[in-house]
Amino acid sequence: MKPRLRHLALACVAALPLAGHAQDFSLHGYLDGRLVAAPAERSWVEGGLGKTRYGGGSTELRFGGAALVGTAQLTPSLLALAGVQLQEGDRAGIDVLEAYLRWRPVSTTRWRGSVQAGAFFPPASLENDAIGWTSPWTLTPSAINSWVGEELRAVGAEARIERRGDVATWDLRGALFQRNDPAGNLLAIRGWSLSDRTYGLGSRLREPDAYVRDEGDQPPMRYDPFRRIGQHWGNYVQLNWRARGRGRLSLMHYDNHAATDAWAPYAGGHRLYAWRTRFWSLGASADSGPVTWIAQAMDGDTIIEPAPGRVFTTRYRAAFLLAGWNRGAWRPALRLDHFSTRELPQAPGQHAGEHGNALTAALNWRPHDWLRLTFETLYMDSTRTVRADYGLPTRTRRTQVQLSARLFY
Amino acid sequence: MRWRLMLAWLLAGSAGTVWAGQLVVRVSDTNGRAVGDAVVTLTSATAATGVAAAPVTRYVDQRDETFIPYVQVVRPGDRVVFRNSDGTRHHVYSFSDAKAFELLLHPGESSPPLTLDKAGLVAIGCNIHDHMIAYLLVSPARARVTPSQGQVVFAHLPSGKYTVTVWHPQLRPGQAPPSEVKILATEADAQRADFALSLIPDPRELSDREHVDY
Repeated sequence: MKPRLRHLALACVAALPLAGHAQDFSLHGYLDGRLVAAPAERSWVEGGLGKTRYGGGSTELRFGGAALVGTAQLTPSLLALAGVQLQEGDRAGIDVLEAYLRWRPVSTTRWRGSVQAGAFFPPASLENDAIGWTSPWTLTPSAINSWVGEELRAVGAEARIERRGDVATWDLRGALFQRNDPAGNLLAIRGWSLSDRTYGLGSRLREPDAYVRDEGDQPPMRYDPFRRIGQHWGNYVQLNWRARGRGRLSLMHYDNHAATDAWAPYAGGHRLYAWRTRFWSLGASADSGPVTWIAQAMDGDTIIEPAPGRVFTTRYRAAFLLAGWNRGAWRPALRLDHFSTRELPQAPGQHAGEHGNALTAALNWRPHDWLRLTFETLYMDSTRTVRADYGLPTRTRRTQVQLSARLFY
Repeated sequence: MRWRLMLAWLLAGSAGTVWAGQLVVRVSDTNGRAVGDAVVTLTSATAATGVAAAPVTRYVDQRDETFIPYVQVVRPGDRVVFRNSDGTRHHVYSFSDAKAFELLLHPGESSPPLTLDKAGLVAIGCNIHDHMIAYLLVSPARARVTPSQGQVVFAHLPSGKYTVTVWHPQLRPGQAPPSEVKILATEADAQRADFALSLIPDPRELSDREHVDY
């Protein structure tokens, strides 16, 4: 067991006597099964170059995932939360989505402070506010939040201060974290994807087989995005404005502060490099009548220096606009995504990178509190220059159709 | 005189019996659906609308992680007891100007009576369950909370000029509560006021099995 995981396990054991006296436990979960009509190209999840979660061209029943989220209110101010998931993929298994302790004492003033420590999602998503980091609007999150679910996790501590006004609540949160140094690798080597295959601590992301062979290695090649490489602390800061009946604005900056030339020995004698990854994210949501609008834009870069003086930068940008129609049990949603990457340095006159758009249409039906049925069509049109190196057309247009039944506990 | 009353009753479209000095207030949403939990307050520069009564004790229950009732009117000097009927702890609190307090309630426990002596709106939350919310409106004026049928009746009113104000927790924050002036010419007069409120979604509905609130 790695020392940090050992510390986490020890902290959990230390909290057990407290938990024994706690009266407030909750356990919630979901279980998802779906019929998927997949695009023909092999998915990146299986080592291919396809940009959707499913590939291979078949229409079949799939296990869409399951998660359990448990909370224990250890004291009136101290909450312990842990979320685990079981996902299907080329390497199925149970992994930890997040696990943290939060201390939030009551305040009888307009100000309320809290701190949390453990492993948690950087609060970048305005979509994924449902159980197991899923979206209530669509099965597949936006390109931005697909990536957040794949590679971003903070292992550290976050402090938060809220000011609760009559009209609006402001909150400022900031975190110091480690163990997210390889984050950014996926955007550089794979580019953006739209997928609800969220990765947890303990799972591994797969690099495209074609690139792995190019490097003279034997696929499958997987890496752990939640590793510490070097001594640096990453940070994020987020400012939120929320007003009931109006909406929410959220501005965030993330920087993992990884050393661009750092690497760690990895399985099979390979090197796992750190990627200095940073981004700005601006999100907004608003309600107009029965329609909820969510928009988010992200702009960032990731840098690697595998040899002295050889610096490679990938600029990445993405944005989406989602409209969800609240019609009681029925909830249609439509989302438009735009995404791009640009690799630097570039040869004169050459553009290396990708750009694309995606349209996601979902119809959700909640006939019961415990059941959600979703029919979703995802259409993606993307152009990625590196595909030409493998004799493939750079432009691809793919459609993925899913019919999901999700049970909630 | 009687035919005038009959006419007023017909014009008001009331289906009930008309009593002397009566004001019928009906609250609906913009789709015409009756709105409960709206506080209808009656104030008058010419007639006494304050209610002199001995302080009473009100109750706010907590059941299924919901405060019951959602909205309640109390008079300055009244006491309120919070009762936890859930199997989990609740940390009831308010940071309102009218009353700031915090009470930790174990399952089955009731709080000591809390005296509300200052007029104003007391928003109540639970620090453990952020989706729990309730309101106590502390007012010396004549005020009623609409039931789910959306209608309240103020009877036996002296003649005078009345301002009817309607407040609801789901009015857009910062929005002035709508009001209307009604004149009861005689003590036998009957008037009706209709309010159509534009309401934002109920914040209590944001927590369900898909959304774990923590």
